[in-house]
Amino acid sequence: MSNKSTHDTFLSDLLARETSLNGTSTTIKKLRQKGFEDVQKLSFPGRKDEDWRFINLRDLYSDSFIPASQVEYTLPDISEYFISESKQARLVFINGQFSAEHSATDALPEEITIGNIADLADDGNGLVEKHLNEYGDFEDDIFSSFNTAMLQDGAFIHVPEGIKVETPVQILFVQTDAYEPYFTTSRCLVLAEKDSELTLVEDHVGLGNNKYFSLPVVEINLEQKAYVKHTKIQRESKEAIHIARTAAHVKQHANYESYTITLGAKLSRNEPRITQLEEEVEFTVDGLVLIDGDQVSDTHSVMDHRFSFCESHQLHKCVINGNAHSVFNGKIFVRKDAQRIDSFQENRNLLLSRKGLVNTKPQLEIFADDVVCTHGATIGQLEEDEVFYLKSRGLNDHQARELLTYAFALETIENITVDSVQKLLVDEVHNYTSRTLDKQPVS
Amino acid sequence: MLEIKNLHVVVEEDGTEILKGVNLKINEGEIHAIMGPNGSGKSTLAKVVAGHDAYEVTEGDILFEGESILEMDPDERAHLGLFLAFQYPVEVPGVTNKTLLREAYNTIAEKRGREELDPLEFEDYVNDRLDIVEMKPEFLDRSINAGFSGGEKKRNEIFQMAVLDPKISFLDETDSGLDIDALKVVAKGINYLADEDNAVCLVTHYQRILDYIVPDHVHVMLDGKIVKSGDKDLAVKLEDEGYDWLTDLASVSVNGEQ
Repeated sequence: MSNKSTHDTFLSDLLARETSLNGTSTTIKKLRQKGFEDVQKLSFPGRKDEDWRFINLRDLYSDSFIPASQVEYTLPDISEYFISESKQARLVFINGQFSAEHSATDALPEEITIGNIADLADDGNGLVEKHLNEYGDFEDDIFSSFNTAMLQDGAFIHVPEGIKVETPVQILFVQTDAYEPYFTTSRCLVLAEKDSELTLVEDHVGLGNNKYFSLPVVEINLEQKAYVKHTKIQRESKEAIHIARTAAHVKQHANYESYTITLGAKLSRNEPRITQLEEEVEFTVDGLVLIDGDQVSDTHSVMDHRFSFCESHQLHKCVINGNAHSVFNGKIFVRKDAQRIDSFQENRNLLLSRKGLVNTKPQLEIFADDVVCTHGATIGQLEEDEVFYLKSRGLNDHQARELLTYAFALETIENITVDSVQKLLVDEVHNYTSRTLDKQPVS
Repeated sequence: MLEIKNLHVVVEEDGTEILKGVNLKINEGEIHAIMGPNGSGKSTLAKVVAGHDAYEVTEGDILFEGESILEMDPDERAHLGLFLAFQYPVEVPGVTNKTLLREAYNTIAEKRGREELDPLEFEDYVNDRLDIVEMKPEFLDRSINAGFSGGEKKRNEIFQMAVLDPKISFLDETDSGLDIDALKVVAKGINYLADEDNAVCLVTHYQRILDYIVPDHVHVMLDGKIVKSGDKDLAVKLEDEGYDWLTDLASVSVNGEQ
């Protein structure tokens, strides 16, 4: 049975809201039209779909969502979410709408183009016209098509050839508190030209404990020798649904490094998809997930090795407490004739409670013969020997468990080079351990 | 300082009795050595004193300064001034020695009514202690025991002892796996730390370390009991004659109890 009928109302309901979007350019209108048509052909997934069988989208389908643009809100001071290194290098979106008032880009080299996609498209920016929706190659994916159908505001960054941007750029997506559930889509397009460098902090913040549906799509293109460091922090409301797609295209001698940190949302799904487009490429797709309560975090990643000589790295670490549920499905493709691939994948899960749940599935499809692919998955609790050792040194049970959990998470965090982001995440780990470990001691 | 009275201990998981009535009294300023063959229960005794929860005390008591510590968690015992140097120190990747020691030192300091040290003061305090076991300052920034050689791990245990300044230390097979130079360093450190106000109990299979650390009392443990106590000459006799001459003694007392 198709899911179409089941979720028909949900779909038509959402699409009917299409009218009030920003952006009047033909580029955007055409894409919206295409997205709209694609959505009509596709179905929203259910548990019978292999890629969705571990999680339940009931929370998504059971509510009707109003467009975020219709939400009335009084905005509190949001400056606490601004990263200090990105003082004048920041784009802010509130409920999906670009906020010029909160954005500032003066610290960035004048050669780079940075701004709101809808505005730039209205101004006839050729780069937006040429590149928008060119990299999000998620086939038959209703969520990315839906995002395209709703295309309006979003972040655009173009770093021209040879420009190395030292200041990290923060793209901050703020979701406000609201009485009614709302949906919001956002888009981010990053073009790193030959020999350029950029550090990007993609930050999703929920201000309340309300329910909303956030569906961001990020597209990144790395030309030859480009180097992009991308940290994504997902700290949505604890009732939110966050379904995200991130696509990166990587060309020769380019290096794409990404760290995805999952802290918030009731249900989150990340789908990073890295595509190697030429020989000799490096990329990293690390993740850290800290969940408790009824949170569900699902990561479906694709590392697509299409040409020879590629080094790829994926360390995905999850800490699960309460009734939380973590899903990992890591696909590694090595295409025919893509030789000398060195690919590392590991999913490590730390279960702090008896009721936590983990599904993990490495998935390798290798069609070349001169390839080194290591992969592994572990699910474990804190080692009681380690706890005893620390306690015998005078640390109490909580301190010992907190220290060990912190150590588990640190491996990902310490790779993040933006100091205040690193500090923020260290604090988040402390918050997490002090919040969760007291509630439910593991025997 | 520490008094162990008729201590009976079983493995919690399967009920196997390991300690079958241990009596031992350790006073301030004393160095004791507990010797015995593998499986005699000497390491278990050290772990039980530290509060390992894999063991259950079924009879008897452990008194520290006159108070029973049986109901105390390992950390509470550490706060009182008990220390266990592990036979197999645990590797804790991601937590540096410095982080652990500062947190441990300050927690114990708070409990014992001493002044806590801020990071700078702690740095000075710790650097002085490094010399005791001839360790380089880089040691502090390494993850606890991760990738350490056997000798480094053992030295790190004595270093932790030096930093935490316990009243009584059980050193579980601290000499095993050490080459002669490392053994000398470790022994020197222990001798330096042992003074009038504290006590040390060496748990060891071999007499070797006793060439460098002279014990006041030597006890022989066989089949979960201390079957003989004496002075340092007892250790020499054990080295020469092994444990066989004592096994009769053990079976007699075990039978005597039944």
